[in-house]
Amino acid sequence: MATRSGLERWFPEFFDKYNAYTVFDLMKSYIEDGRIKLDKEMFTQRIAYHDPCNYGRKSEEKFGYGYYEEPRWILDQFAPNWVDLFPSKANGYCCGGGGGTMLTPFKEVRSHYGKKKIEQIKRVEPELIVVPCHSCHGQIQSSLSEAEMDIPVKYLWEVVADALIV
Amino acid sequence: MENSKDKTVKDLAPLRDIKSSPELCMSCGTCSAGCPITGQDGFDPRKIVGMVIEGRDQELVESNLPWLCTMCAKCEHACPMGINITGIVRTIRGLVDRDKVPGMIHKGVELCLETGNNIGLPSEDFDFIIEDVGEEVAEEEGYEEFAAPIDKENANILHTLHNKLVNTQNEDLVHWWKIFHAADESFTIPSENWEGVNWGLFSGDDESMKTVVGRIVEHMEKLKVKNLMYPE
Ligand code: SF4
Ligand code: SF4
Repeated sequence: MATRSGLERWFPEFFDKYNAYTVFDLMKSYIEDGRIKLDKEMFTQRIAYHDPCNYGRKSEEKFGYGYYEEPRWILDQFAPNWVDLFPSKANGYCCGGGGGTMLTPFKEVRSHYGKKKIEQIKRVEPELIVVPCHSCHGQIQSSLSEAEMDIPVKYLWEVVADALIV
Repeated sequence: MENSKDKTVKDLAPLRDIKSSPELCMSCGTCSAGCPITGQDGFDPRKIVGMVIEGRDQELVESNLPWLCTMCAKCEHACPMGINITGIVRTIRGLVDRDKVPGMIHKGVELCLETGNNIGLPSEDFDFIIEDVGEEVAEEEGYEEFAAPIDKENANILHTLHNKLVNTQNEDLVHWWKIFHAADESFTIPSENWEGVNWGLFSGDDESMKTVVGRIVEHMEKLKVKNLMYPE
């Protein structure tokens, strides 16, 4: 998001010479074009998917397009039991660690926000949480451990890599 | 009149050119109601917008308020007047003296400008980690041919890295490498300025943000890469 908005703002000619893809575009095209094959037996547990603000609501606001459907499509290809948190997509809650707040000393406020995410997670009782963002990954892990909940958190590209048939 | 026969009022009426100035705030409190940290440490987005309207910039700049916000945009998504609350927060952040920016945000930006990555990792260490983790991947069944490509020219995809993967989460470097390998994708990792994260976005520092984005453009040119994978 920082890179894309920076390129659009300061280096618009970049897009005349190069294409730029998000993590979703790449994974989706590899699956669609048959370049990667995924094991459909590996992730049959109940997975909760979390929308990061930057790929969702903020991309929608800034670039006119939020990446809501792509990650869900990717999960549909090999993880039949994934579920949405509620609310999700444009109305979803931040993990609580956005905007660089994980780099600040204001841990209490951050963990207060994190509890909102934990409430959402508790309601769907997942066995695994999947996120496509490094900040969300760290923040959700730390909120879970504060809440003494033992649920693994994985990156979307991590579950895809784990399910690769090579 | 025949011309406009097929057109509805919706087609004909000009759109309102909303500039969403903070002055448009109705004090409705929707933003505060939607924000999960309203009430924490005196935080309240409506109050921030109000202070901006009153010109109480200095108070905002000296407070923790802009740094408590996660810039998640939940407030502004619901704001009936389309006020850019995260834009306000980032602007206040940008007015804070750089040595007063809390925590690691600006320190990371400074390190990135100086060393090419937010954690100040020397390039020998970087090369070592990348090669080492690459060799581990090659030990796995199905990835025997894998080698992490540093500074390879003419690749299809430029792959920059999140500093935390290079720092404390080396085990998470491998996922994309495996996907690329399985997809027979040609990619390249720059040996210098490999940072994929741009903390100038968070610190409100446009100049540094531009420098860091500019490095991506330089990599594309220097390494003759065809396409960019957005780092985040
Ligand atoms: S939601 Fe918008 S209009 Fe309402 S108080 Fe907040 S900034 Fe003002
Ligand atoms: S962007 Fe900031 S003020 Fe708005 S809802 Fe998120 S944390 Fe609250």
